[in-house]
Amino acid sequence: MRYALLVEGAPYSSQASHSALRFATTLVARGHQLVSVFFYHDGVYNAARLAAPPQDEPHLYDAWRSLHAEHGTELQVCIAAALRRGLLDEREAERHGKSGHSVEPPFELTGLGQLIDLGQGVDRLVTFAP
Amino acid sequence: MILHILNRPPSSSLAYRDALAAMAGNDRLLLIEDGVMGALTSQVRHFQEIEGRLFALREDLSARGLEGQCDASVLVVDVDGFVSLTEEADKTVSWF
Repeated sequence: MRYALLVEGAPYSSQASHSALRFATTLVARGHQLVSVFFYHDGVYNAARLAAPPQDEPHLYDAWRSLHAEHGTELQVCIAAALRRGLLDEREAERHGKSGHSVEPPFELTGLGQLIDLGQGVDRLVTFAP
Repeated sequence: MILHILNRPPSSSLAYRDALAAMAGNDRLLLIEDGVMGALTSQVRHFQEIEGRLFALREDLSARGLEGQCDASVLVVDVDGFVSLTEEADKTVSWF
């Protein structure tokens, strides 16, 4: 089956990101396709490219990247939720006159319309909220 | 059949009431994260009306040291079983 996950909780604040990641790795192990993970609300902090958690803790950012690398899972970030939290890719950083960027591929800033499309294009959409 | 997913315990949130009110006769409810507290014998009475359709996530029970206190009426599943529940359901609804 084709799956998508909606993550609304910030990493290391609530269990949502950990629950979503655990569900994600299990579902691909069962042979399903994880089309996309969509990060919304405080969930957008999962896309912060400078995340540097202690070495003895799960590295959520790297884990999401691995999902993309190994299974082609799209990592979509709500652009409206991201920009107001200081999460900008190179293009948005330039547009807003910022000296650095905090989001880079494989994470991509995208609109809520993409979430609607996802909901219609996959067999299951599962939400993990704080 | 819809799989409802609840991550709040009945002791600190009334989200479980909304979930129960929204459930149809054959829907299922899975307790995850802090929601697994609702599976304890001392709290499971809140879910009496859906006995046989109440599930709890084993990993989240274990992480809280509660596996031994889970009520016998609750169906305990691991994450693999969680995925399986989503396969069997037409869709999922998360309550939080």
